[in-house]
This record gives sequence, structure tokens and C-alpha cells, in this order.
Amino acid sequence: MINRECGVYQTTYEGDMAIYPVPLARYAAVGSIGVLVLLPLVLDSHQMALVNLMILAAVGAIGLNILVGYTGQVSLGHGAFMMVGSYTAAILTARYDVPFWLALPCGGAVAALVGVFFGIPSLRIKGLYLAIATLAAQFIIEWVINHSTWISAGAQATIYISTPTVFGWEINTEFRRFYMILPAAVIAYVGALNLVRSRVGRAFIAVRDRDVAAEIIGVNIFKYKLLAFAVSSFYAGVAGALWTYYLKIANYEHFTLGTSVQYLAMIIIGGLGSVLGSVFGAVFITLLPIVLVYVVEGSARLFGFEYAAIADFLANLRLIIFGTLIILFLAIEPEGLYRLWGNVRRYFRLWPFSY
Amino acid sequence: MGFFADLFVNGLMIGSMYALIALGFVLIYKATSVVNFAQGELVMFGGYIAAAMLSLYHLPLAVALPVLLVSMVILGFAVERGVLRPLVGQNVISVVMVTIGLAQVFQGLAAMVWGAQTINISLPIRLEPYQIWEVYISPINVVAAVISGVFLVGFAWFFRKSRMGVAMRAVANDQQAAMAVGINVRFVFAASWAIAGLAAGIGGVVWGNMLGVDTHLALVGLKVFPAVILGGLDSVPGAVVGGLLIGAIESVAAGYVDPYVGGGTKDFLPYVLMIVALLIRPYGFFGREIIERV
Amino acid sequence: MQLRIVLIGILTLVLATGFAAPATADHVIKVGGQCDRTGATKLVGVEICPGISDYVKLVNKKGGVLGHKIEHTEIEHGYLVDRGVEAYERLKRDGAVAVFDYGTPIVYALTPRHMEDKIPAITPGFGRADSTDGTVWPYIFPMAASYWSQAGAAMEYIKQKGGKRGTKVAYLYFDNPAGREGIPIVEVVAAKEGYQLRLFAVPSPGLEMGPQVIDITRRFKADWVVGHLFGRSPSVSIKELKKAGFPMDHVVSFVWGAGEADIEAAGWDVAQGYLGMQFTSPGRNLPVIQEILKMYRDEGKEVPAYVGGVYYSRGVLNAAVIVEGVRLAIQNFGLPVTGEKVKKGYELMKNFDLQGFLPPMTVTPTDHEGGGWVRLYQVRGKEWVPATDWFRGYREEVLAQVKKVNDAHKAAAKK
Repeated sequence: MINRECGVYQTTYEGDMAIYPVPLARYAAVGSIGVLVLLPLVLDSHQMALVNLMILAAVGAIGLNILVGYTGQVSLGHGAFMMVGSYTAAILTARYDVPFWLALPCGGAVAALVGVFFGIPSLRIKGLYLAIATLAAQFIIEWVINHSTWISAGAQATIYISTPTVFGWEINTEFRRFYMILPAAVIAYVGALNLVRSRVGRAFIAVRDRDVAAEIIGVNIFKYKLLAFAVSSFYAGVAGALWTYYLKIANYEHFTLGTSVQYLAMIIIGGLGSVLGSVFGAVFITLLPIVLVYVVEGSARLFGFEYAAIADFLANLRLIIFGTLIILFLAIEPEGLYRLWGNVRRYFRLWPFSY
Repeated sequence: MGFFADLFVNGLMIGSMYALIALGFVLIYKATSVVNFAQGELVMFGGYIAAAMLSLYHLPLAVALPVLLVSMVILGFAVERGVLRPLVGQNVISVVMVTIGLAQVFQGLAAMVWGAQTINISLPIRLEPYQIWEVYISPINVVAAVISGVFLVGFAWFFRKSRMGVAMRAVANDQQAAMAVGINVRFVFAASWAIAGLAAGIGGVVWGNMLGVDTHLALVGLKVFPAVILGGLDSVPGAVVGGLLIGAIESVAAGYVDPYVGGGTKDFLPYVLMIVALLIRPYGFFGREIIERV
Repeated sequence: MQLRIVLIGILTLVLATGFAAPATADHVIKVGGQCDRTGATKLVGVEICPGISDYVKLVNKKGGVLGHKIEHTEIEHGYLVDRGVEAYERLKRDGAVAVFDYGTPIVYALTPRHMEDKIPAITPGFGRADSTDGTVWPYIFPMAASYWSQAGAAMEYIKQKGGKRGTKVAYLYFDNPAGREGIPIVEVVAAKEGYQLRLFAVPSPGLEMGPQVIDITRRFKADWVVGHLFGRSPSVSIKELKKAGFPMDHVVSFVWGAGEADIEAAGWDVAQGYLGMQFTSPGRNLPVIQEILKMYRDEGKEVPAYVGGVYYSRGVLNAAVIVEGVRLAIQNFGLPVTGEKVKKGYELMKNFDLQGFLPPMTVTPTDHEGGGWVRLYQVRGKEWVPATDWFRGYREEVLAQVKKVNDAHKAAAKK
């Protein structure tokens, strides 16, 4: 509406290459950040916790989408790399008093290194070997963390960190946790947007779409596949480190194969190959179990049967809906929720005209 | 020596059960180039159907077994028709992720239909071991191994001699050429899923007996990956050899290495072997050496 | 188009009723807990959680706690830490004053929050063994034998049955932090008594343990197996040990490998003689269970098979402990009930045994465990039959370990 591109002329290269060349889009982006910053004023603690979970999920999802959506490689080990980042951050914080803003990238870096280690054998070959290798990574990493006392600090394989203090502020409410993780998430988001617009990002897309042609024009496929995997693992590591700060512990049972599948679901449903789509997917998957519970509880109250009687049914329904949604979205709408959002935007671009 | 022999023999027997699952997986990959991440769930479903018939409805084995096989075949057809057919045009990644989604659906469905409790499959064979030379062998393990072996041999014969089997190999080799010769490729796809379902059903019975049937049974499907990478993703004899190898290695290694590393060797050594195999010989022992290197 | 509007209308209606906060009656005391009905321990969860809700229903039917109704909210978490944390936050928002944290990893994750929010958590039969000392962990209450106490009791039984220098004990455990908790105690006792001890880890999810069992029976030739397995693994261990020819009556399992569901999965005829540890009394003869049965009959509902079973009874225990804590809180500190008052209420519990259902439990600020009493039951025929009376073992060693770990923790916290 208000034909947004009307009258917008770029006169510099920078203007043309900006993420949001259209002023309206720029204001919208800044506005959404403003809304996010002011969110704690209107939400209560539990809702804030939900938002925090969504943001944490989004960071990981963005990373995975860079690998799967933009470069076309399937990874089942996202949970394992999050585990690596999580433990790294915990060890650095608990034993060496590394501050928050340094521990996050360190967690990411270590996860990226581990990722490269698993990526090298499997990315050399075309095909789904990465998926299988990351499956192996999941188990191997879990075993290593579980069994090496230097990492896991004893029988519990759980590392505690005391309440984190950022710039002297103790982070012990959901609202403060929100402000702690929001900057990292925004940086991750903007970083991803820039990455995919850049030369590297275009190389990723080339590898996904026509790797033979890409090779011919000089794109080093192995290098870019490995880079994508490293970036994705970096994001996973940062996400894992954020989890450590959020929960104040690092525990490997938190990141299982199911976690990796969940992230895959997020990006499939949200939209492969789109950063905003990853966020949509993260929001959707995080809210799904909660909405489901509300719906069932609501209908229980409406139709008068006890929750206890259908608790089992409900719990399994979530899994079924999960899997069905993955299949449906892949079959019908491979571009996921992002496409639906795009449809809405497209409609409003011309509104009130129809063409 | 006795200890090693025990571990080795046991490992081989379990390996034959792995081989059964690996066989189903390789079948699907060979015919349709799809990496089926839901193979474990198919095994689980087979186990549930068998357990339901034997333990819940108390049907005799002679009735239960054919019903199981038939239902698994139908399930295979249904999955192929309902879930994979709509995705025919799309790239392989989508199909792989569809199988992952399918796995979740199966898990939730099985738990919903049959409940969360573990169901026991008891076959009328004794559990206590017999002693042969220095090795203790439990009859039930032997029976499981024999069942797996029989089916493996049957499948091998099927692929070599029967018309359908040869047709499947043709499709796996070159789809276009097979179509040109008049083979109904769509039916071959469906048949490969059906047979994989069948193998999974047998696997479900033997594994369900060993471990008890519930949704965790699907996790044995994860062991199939090291087996097929070692044996070759598209090779049926490779699946068998890979399965036996993984079974034996993991058993022996666990017995000897576990005490030094605090346990868990079984769960991580096969995967390490797999990574090593990817590095040096990605097409496995028997796979075709058509690997495009980047 | 019509259909779509109708569907959206229904969905909105249902969502709206779901979101609308239920009209809360005055003086309703809220408690809650997570439940695992789909995850790794769902075998246990689907029986424990009905136990809790049934007991709460019973209490409410009898007029509530000193006239106040109790509202228990169960939130499914699939044994996952993040969902468990989210569930706790929801319970907190709804005003819960006492919670049951389901799962050792969840207890560890939520410990800092319990301390901050001053809402006490109970963790009967699992949880963190070091929270036995309530002065270091004021808001975590094991309320039943911790894994250390269970280990002590198992070793005590072995001693009673003829353990002597050189007896070989195999500790077969689930390879995760919960499973490893038993290790310090079995090692200390084995050193003290001169047993030969070897540890055998079963990796998650505990489906395959062939090599471990072969090692136990052929190479190590153990005399006793002490098992700390849960989820799927106890039944698998029973079958495997049987296949290897190991006598079932020399296998002692901790509390989570001792349910009917585990034996069902393995086969009753296979498990004859197997010993399992309990911290409640299973069975339907107990007054509390009888009352619950009567409640079912009064409502005209069919009694589910699991009522009176091992895990169901533990659910009843959980609810009973929470109710008792609330009762003591109201009696001694008055309304409105808060988490702090419930915590103090817990610490006033004396000889609480729910008409023979539990060993008499006394909780003090220094002993959040309630004594650590257990009982061994054995599989005979088609049921669990008591094999010993309430006992506990190596209490000094257990308490010494508690002190050791907590001292280290205090030292670390001071830094």
C-alpha cells in the first residue's frame, strides 16, 4: 500500500546494495527492532520466557538454513555442534572467567572447528554423505563430552555457571535474559542477511542449484561447502553458548538427535533459503507444543473431558503433527511460511490496486 | 580366548540382524536413490504389529507371521504411494527430509495406537545358553541369526534370478534405459519399498524379541548407516557384509575397550569407522566406484 | 470459502477458551510438575503422572487440605531440559507453590531457579544426591532415597547375603549423569569390604548391552550385579543376563528398574528371582490405594491396570508429600501459602508414612532425604513380593559423600 517503491531512486552504489533500499522497508526494520526492545514492557515473565526460547531457536535455525537452504547440504548434527558451543562457553566462563561477549564467539569458533573436522571427509563427495556424517558427529561428540572428565567436569557432565553479569548487571530475570540474548540474535540475523547477499552467499546458492556450472565458472565447490558448514556450525556454537547463559548450565542431554531434527523442521516449515523464514520457523516450532496444549485444554473445557484422560494422546499428537507438517510443507509449499508471508506482502504492495 | 570367541560369535549374530535392516535400506537406495531415514521406524512398526498380534491378541505364530509380512508389504506400498510419489520431481534433499518427517509421524502414531508401554515378544525358544566348546550360545540369538540369514539368502536369490529382482537392478543401474526396455519403473519403486518393508518387518520381530517393542526400537535403524557406508550404499552383498562387520567389531571392541574408556564404545566406534571409511573408501567394500569427488 | 470461515471460527473459539485464564476459586492452592509421556522415560511417566493426579483428586474429594482445594498442573516435557524449564516457568506464572521436577537433568537445570524463586522442588527417587543436605540446597528435596542411599542399600543387601572379601560385584549403569551417581558409593563400599568391583556402562538409550553382559558373566564372572538402569534398559538387561545364564536372584536393581512395566517387557517367566528396590509399598492392599480404588468405583469408572503398581505408587507418594508439605505450611505459618512456607513445612515433616505406604519419613533442614529408607522386592510368579523390610545401608558412607561433595561445592562457590 502506498506504493512503496514509487519515487525511490538510488544514486549511489551503497544505496543500491543496501539491505533495505526502500525507505519504508528501512523504517519497518528499525521499527521492529524498536518493538522488540520495548517488548518487555508489555509481556509478563512467562511470555518473555517464550520469546527468549524463540530467539534462541532462531539463531540456530538461521545457521542451519545457511547450510541447508542456501547451500543445499543436509546436516543432522546441528544439536551436536550446539552442544560443543554450549560446553565451550561453560568451561570458559566457569573456569577461566571469560566475559560473556567473548565466550559467545569462542563457543562458535570451537564448534566451527569441530564442524570442519567432520565436514572434510564427507563434503569431498557429492551426495548425502554429509547427512550421514553429521549423524555420526552427533553420537561421537556426545560420547566424547560424556566421557572426557576434563570437559564434563565429573559424573554429572553438567557445568554450572553462576548468574552471568553483563556490564555489572546481574541477569536473573527473564527480561534481563532477553536483553542479554537480543543483541547477539540481531547481530546473527543481520550477519546472515549480509552473508547471503555477498559473493560468498551467491557461491553458496550456485553450489546448491547447479554445481557443475558453478565449478566451470571457477567456484571452488569443496571450499564453499566447507565454508557453509563452518558458518552453520559457528551459528550453532553461538546458539549453544547462548543456551548455556540462558539456562546457566551446560548439559549434553539437552542437545540430542531430536534437537537436530527439530531445527530441520524449523527451517523446512519456515522456508528453506530465507533468513526471515528461519525466524518464522523458529517461532512456529517453539509455539507449536504450547498452542497444542492450549487447543486441547480449551476443547477439553468446551467438550467436557479431563486433561488426564487425553494427556497421552496429546503428547503423541505433537510428534505426529510435527512430522506431518514437515511432509506437507515439503510437498506443497517448499518455501514454507516465508512464502506465505511473501504472498501477504505482495498483495499489500499493490493494494488497493489489484495489478 | 573364550571371551573373544563369545564376543565375536555374539557380534556376528547381532550383525546378521543389522544386515537385515541394512538390506531394506540399500534396496530403497539402489532403486530410488533415496536415503531412507525412516528405516528404523519401519522396523519399529513391524515390531509393533508382531507384538500386538502375538502378545495383545494372542494369535498363534503361524497366523501372526504371514499377517505381519502382508501388512508390512502394504505399508511399504502405502508409504511410497502416499508420501514419495507426490515428491517425484523434487530434489533429493526434500525427499530425504520427508523420510525424516515420516519417521516422526511413525513414532507418534505407534505410541498413540499401542501406548507407551514396552510390549514383549516372546518366541517359544529358551533363553538360557548352551555351551559349545568355550563359547556360550543362546538359542534365541541363533534363531534370530538364522531367520535373518534365511531372508538374506532369499533376497539374494530374488535379485539374481527372479524377473522382478532383475528389473529392480536394471532400474537402479540406469532408470532411462530401464524405461526404454519397458520396465514399469513406478512399480519397481513401489516394489522396492514393499520389500524393504518386508525386511523391516522381519527385523522388527527379531529385534523386538531381543529388546522389547516400543518407540525406541526405531533407534536400531541408526546403526544401519555405518553398516551401509562400510559395505557400500548401493550394494546388497555389501549391506550384509557391512552389517556382520559392524556387529562383530562393535561387540569385540566393546568387550575389550569399554573398561578403559568408561563404556559406550559400542555406540561411537561404528560411527568413527564410518568417518574413516568416508575418508579413504567412501563407496565401501562392495559399492560401485562411481563417486564424484569435489 | 464457507468451510474455511467455519473452521477458523472454531479454532478461534477453542483457542480463546484455552487462553482465558480459568476462573480460580478462592483458596485454591496451586502445585504442579512436568511429566514425560513421550520421551526416554515414558514407561515410567505414564504411570507416575496418573498417580499424582489421582491422589490430588482424592484429597480434593475429601475436602482438600484443611479446607483448601489443591490444583495440580501436569505439563508434558518429553524428558527434555528446555521444555522442562519452560514448563516450570509456566507453573511459576500460574502461582505454583510446590513443584515436582521430573528427571535428573531437569532438576540440575532448574536448581538455580528454585533457589532464586524460592519455590521448593521434590525429586523422590532420583534428582541430585547432594541435595540431601538441605543447608546447601534449601529448595531441593529428594524426599526419598537418593541414588547414593540406594547404592548403600544394595551393597548392604549383598553383605547380608554373604558378601565377603573377594566377592565380585558388577555395577551395571546407564551411561549418563544419573546413572553415574551411584559410582562413588559403590566404590567406597567395595574398597571398605574388599569386594572386587567393576563398572559397566550401558550407553543411551540402553537398548543393547550384549558385550557388557558377556563381559560380566564370562570374563569378570561377577557374583552380584547391581543395576542402575532406567527407561528401556532394565528389561533388556534382564533378558540379556538371562541369556547369559546369570542367576536372577543375584541381580539387585535400583528403584527405576523395579516396576511392573519393566518385567512385563522382559517377560515374567524370564525375570523370576530378580530383585528391585522400592521406596514405596506397591500393591493394592494399602489403605491409600484402597481409597483411590473406591474413588474410581464411586465415579463409575473402570480402574486402570496400573493403579497400585510400582510407578503409580511413586506418583501417589509425590502428591502425598506435596500435600503434606502444604498442610504443615498452612498449619504452622498460615495463609496465603508461599513457596517459602511450603519449604519450611517440608522441613517439619515427622514420621510421615501415609498409613503404612512409606517408611516413616522425617525431614529436617539438614536431611532433605527423609532418611533414605528402601525395601527390596522380588519377582515371584506374576508379581513383586517383598523380600526385605525397610532398611538402609552404609549410612555413614553416604552422609560422608554428601558432606564431601557439598564442601567442594561451597569452596567453589566462595571463589
